[in-house]
Amino acid sequence: MKRQSIFTTSNTVFCVMAVILAIVPFVSDSRTTLILLTQIFIFGILAMSYDMLLGYTGIVSFGHAMFFGIGAYTSAIMLNMYESTMAIFTISIAVGMLLSAVLSFFVGLLTLRLKSHYYAMLTLAISGLVLVVAEKWRTMTKGNDGFTFRAPEFFRDRMMFYLFALACLIVIYIIFKRFVGSPLGRVLIAVRENEQRTASLGYKTLHYKVIASVLAGVVASLAGSLYAVSLRFVNTSVMSMDITLDALLMTIIGGVGTLIGPLLGAAVIEFAQHYLSGLARDYPIFERWIIIFGIIYILAVIFFPRGIVGTLSQKLGEWKMKRKTAAVEETFQKVPPPGIADESGEWK
Amino acid sequence: MELIISLIINGLATGMLIFLLAAGVTLIFGLMDVLNFAHGGLFVWGAYSGIFAYAATESFTIGILIALLTGAVLGFITEKLIITPVYGNHVQQILITLGFMIVLSECIKVVFGPNGIPVSVPPLLAGSWEVGNIIIIKYRIFIIAAGFIIYGVFHYILTKTKIGLIVRAGVMNREMVQALGINIKRVFLYVFMVGAALASLGGVLMAPYSGVIYAEMGMEYAILGFIVVVIGGMGSYSGTLFAAILVGLAGSFMAYYVPYLSLAVNMIIMVIVLVFRPQGLFTVAKG
Repeated sequence: MKRQSIFTTSNTVFCVMAVILAIVPFVSDSRTTLILLTQIFIFGILAMSYDMLLGYTGIVSFGHAMFFGIGAYTSAIMLNMYESTMAIFTISIAVGMLLSAVLSFFVGLLTLRLKSHYYAMLTLAISGLVLVVAEKWRTMTKGNDGFTFRAPEFFRDRMMFYLFALACLIVIYIIFKRFVGSPLGRVLIAVRENEQRTASLGYKTLHYKVIASVLAGVVASLAGSLYAVSLRFVNTSVMSMDITLDALLMTIIGGVGTLIGPLLGAAVIEFAQHYLSGLARDYPIFERWIIIFGIIYILAVIFFPRGIVGTLSQKLGEWKMKRKTAAVEETFQKVPPPGIADESGEWK
Repeated sequence: MELIISLIINGLATGMLIFLLAAGVTLIFGLMDVLNFAHGGLFVWGAYSGIFAYAATESFTIGILIALLTGAVLGFITEKLIITPVYGNHVQQILITLGFMIVLSECIKVVFGPNGIPVSVPPLLAGSWEVGNIIIIKYRIFIIAAGFIIYGVFHYILTKTKIGLIVRAGVMNREMVQALGINIKRVFLYVFMVGAALASLGGVLMAPYSGVIYAEMGMEYAILGFIVVVIGGMGSYSGTLFAAILVGLAGSFMAYYVPYLSLAVNMIIMVIVLVFRPQGLFTVAKG
């Protein structure tokens, strides 16, 4: 097999996008844009990690918010209890990831043996339990009221935090890209396509599914840590169902089973949320903009189950295919080979 | 002793409320194998429309009837628009009905306003009896009775009548029943409508019990309904009743003895049951 060069068209496009995004804060003065883009990066990371489960392994999890929440709370509590320095923040990210890894490992081991819908419900129940713990453990979490804390000195400047979030996004994207292409990632895709067949080929599917769920949990925890620092405030809403729903919506609308899809979905939803809630000030009808989302989402599930990216790449593939067959047919018309193609034009 | 009896009555009443909600879920999820996360939305619509009619006409009976009607109509719409394209595909079902759930509960906020609405118990059922030192609230007895009646009716229909036979046969083998000349699509549509109407009934009966209704209650109670169906075992009506009572009693005793665990007790029961007996406590053998 030919070893592919790193400078493919898509990689070049991503590099250009990354550079443009990195330049934005130096060109634009708008604080709102900066904050909005930072939110998109954070939720992009979350949605990508969710897609690792939904799109690549074919598991529907309703408990993703608990890992997001664990990351957010770990960072917030540690920054609040000790001093707010970069070192503590880095350690808190690592601690959050470790906690999420341990939790997702045990949850996965216990529940991934079950059928898909039982898994969905069990994760829903367990994340409900974690939410109850967060609400009741008031000495640590201050319950539903939440608490504010000081962000590290380095991040007082919004621009620095913007660049940091962008860097995290790019690193996670590259890691995921490598992971999906690796033999391990291939097995995950095989599990999604046909679990029984993968199992009968000798792969222990449970192990692979647990690996996917641990990876997704760890990355979701990173997104949570970033989210807490971006708000400088944390309360139990970081563990609520809404976060999981957001991740789900972003993944579905952007395109399941692609890495760029969830990013695009995050961008679309955050922008729409921002502008529609801005419109609500003038037109009260937009106050319930969630309805519009719900309807778009239902239509997307029925008509575009592959999302924006999936549908586009399918169309592109069909178009390329057509051009290719047209070119081939043209060659064959010059020298018609007898007996290779039948009347319907299908190849034998 | 008095304490234990009161706790049992409270637990039974809560269990029956959960059963009323779960009865619809059992039909739709347990028998038809459709994961309808919009069930909570139907529940809230039942509660709001029923209470709206009750407030307008001063008659709780009319409120219940309106709730049943709303449930059936919404069930019709849901089945036709949302469920039909995704029969047999669980992941798609979860995703699409979740979207519909969002639409339903946001529509509640548009029509009835985003704030909770206080509800009073109908005068006939208000108040309580005193037996010795035990205070028995009338509405709780009413709910317990309603739960047992619903259970009896459905148990009878499903096991003793021809309609029940067709439904059970359709669940086992759709194509076969279709081949025998029965329009199984229409039968499933009716079953779905009945399930939705049951969800609405649960909603309107729940309203005076909890004293206030709000748009988010749908999701909370729908989760409870699913938990109960999963604990009881898919498709088993008696299992659902048993699990509902178990969850209700456990909740009521926990709330008294270990209050900080009371919110988590349902989840804990479900986790234990699913880990050790994934098929549920009672299971119906399926062909």
